[in-house]
Amino acid sequence: MNILFISKLSQFARSVLPISKYVEMGKQLGHRVALYGEQTNEPPQLPYSLDAKVFDVAIFVVYESWDFPDMPYLAQLLDGVPRERRFIIDCCGRYNDTVRVEHDFNHLEKMDGHQGWEWVEGFEAVADTILQPTRKPLRTNVRSFLWHAFDPASVAKPYQTEQEAVEAWSNSDRNSKPYAMTYVGHNWQRWTQIRGLLEGVQPLSADFGPIAIAGSDWEKRPEWAAQLGLQGVDVDPELFARARVQPRPPIPFQEMIAFMSQGRFSPVVQRPLFNELGFVTNRIFATFCADTIPLLMLSKELVESIYGPSAEPLRIDQDVKDHISQILRNPAPYWKAVLDTRKYLAVHHTFQHRFQQLLGILEGKA
Amino acid sequence: MRILFVIDKRINAGSIRAVASYVSAADRMGHTIAVYGSPDSSLPKVRFSVEPDRFDFVVFILESKLNWLSGLRVARILRTVPHERRVVLDADGLYNDIVSLGDYDRNHASIAERNRWREACDRLGSRIFQPTLTPLDPRIKPLLFYGYAPEEEARAEDPSGKTVDIVHLSHNWWRWKELEELLLPAVGRMRERIGEICFLGLWWDGCPPWAAALGLTEAFRVDQARLKSLRITVRPPVPFTQVISAMSSGKVNIMTQRPLFQRLGIITSKYFEIFCADTVPLALIGPELAQSVYGPAGRDLTLNGQIEQRLLAALETPEHFRGSVQQVREHLRTHHSYQTRVQQLVAALEA
Repeated sequence: MNILFISKLSQFARSVLPISKYVEMGKQLGHRVALYGEQTNEPPQLPYSLDAKVFDVAIFVVYESWDFPDMPYLAQLLDGVPRERRFIIDCCGRYNDTVRVEHDFNHLEKMDGHQGWEWVEGFEAVADTILQPTRKPLRTNVRSFLWHAFDPASVAKPYQTEQEAVEAWSNSDRNSKPYAMTYVGHNWQRWTQIRGLLEGVQPLSADFGPIAIAGSDWEKRPEWAAQLGLQGVDVDPELFARARVQPRPPIPFQEMIAFMSQGRFSPVVQRPLFNELGFVTNRIFATFCADTIPLLMLSKELVESIYGPSAEPLRIDQDVKDHISQILRNPAPYWKAVLDTRKYLAVHHTFQHRFQQLLGILEGKA
Repeated sequence: MRILFVIDKRINAGSIRAVASYVSAADRMGHTIAVYGSPDSSLPKVRFSVEPDRFDFVVFILESKLNWLSGLRVARILRTVPHERRVVLDADGLYNDIVSLGDYDRNHASIAERNRWREACDRLGSRIFQPTLTPLDPRIKPLLFYGYAPEEEARAEDPSGKTVDIVHLSHNWWRWKELEELLLPAVGRMRERIGEICFLGLWWDGCPPWAAALGLTEAFRVDQARLKSLRITVRPPVPFTQVISAMSSGKVNIMTQRPLFQRLGIITSKYFEIFCADTVPLALIGPELAQSVYGPAGRDLTLNGQIEQRLLAALETPEHFRGSVQQVREHLRTHHSYQTRVQQLVAALEA
């Protein structure tokens, strides 16, 4: 099958990782997968095409309104690819009624100029089939497709046993693991969770080590957020100082796993909206590729449904300090949980699985 | 007829003022004109609608960019309104072949850019209009979109009460060369005889930082030292609701037009706004073009070839220009009112 993805790629955000993997998977499985647009030399090196007619399907991967191409390209796609062969992967739950959770939201006109109904009707104008990366879409006409996936080949240290992992992890020096904790993600609707985490680790002993957070807008609350009166994009420099947080600029997706592997722990946190909608993201899977112990700040239901039964010990279900202290005292059961979860993900959630699931949907078989 | 405009809703540039006039003129004539979007409290006189399928025609008003067209909205309009009921007003003449003027002003930097624009227009609309009487391309239909709004004429006040002698209200967009070569030397020669000169608009204080990446530094060229040495005050742009009052603060207003628009004969909103203001309007355009738009009296209000004489005369004996201004206003009321424009638009869409 010839599959054309349409999305604005950035090395630092959104779906650059899964799209790269689907291109790779397509090659391996004998399909042609390309991105819509003019060929570019910007990394990652991916095949591009503007000839939409030679593709069997066009899949719009949408986070923001600008993921739809400018004119005349959008019209080329709408005129050149029949509607029944156009699909949308709705990565932020835009195709819903307006949802507000804490200070998070799926629509906000002052943010992007679009009202909620415009997202819904705009999506319906583009495609018949809308997919969301959740097990439980709210709308009955939305199909579940998790989109993001686990890549076993990207596991930084494929330990065979938890003892091996514990030994490497416990004996890691300041060169290999300079940080107690690492996090990769932009400061967008994650502050409440990150603040809770940092407040939780503060009472740990001073030798817990520094924390590195890579992403945009962690240095200070961005001006645009202040101007728009948006919460959920805050920072607290004093708390950062107390918790020894080192904000870092965004890193390209190719360096994400290596960066997370520089910390002994790495949290998996989600926007409140995504928790509410049960959405999955890159980080849910990629954190298990890093040489780190994931701290799952997710609901029990999401952890069980995505990671399987072994991941539960990794979920912070109590005081953060107690949870981390227990791991530090006795890391073996937690590393066992990591390794068992990796196995589970390799059986159920690889990009190969996803690609086959996607083909099933595109061919009308699934 | 029910007509829906799709427009980039910029408050201090573009076509929003014209659209507001179209809405009220159409109301008076039994037609309905609205702008795509939700009601906007900053534009109380503009009707908005988000139901394109309830209109007979959708008019995309394109100026120099396409990226303001949200994919969500375009997809919805393209789906609900058939191609034959969609048209494009190509306000900046970008549908033409490449027109490059002395390596300065141009409509496109490359053929690829021109092709993209053309394809966008062709896919958005079945017909292309330009606000010129003399389109260069046979596929383009002439449609003078901008017009005169007599109801906005400012009340005449004593010129001696005005604090500014010369106002030039325009953004610095492909205008510097003409100013540098024609206007500023004349101003320099008689600077001591003129009071305050004020330029209002964007980019007179420098080239915007994003211009270089787009290869557009020349479009924003400005010599601030020269402005300073001529004691020309630079002020920020005003919203469209304050354009006429800002123009009326000057005894004389100068209208300039970028070379490309002169070449294409594009008639902009400024041609008409300047005659609503309580001022002596002087246009830096040729007398023939002035006559074609303004009528015979328009020739007396051009600056071509006699900048110093006309400027000084307008400042020192404004009463000598009053007759010409009134004659032009009368001509504009008769031939270029928004009521006339609505008739022309309806006729063009029905054709």
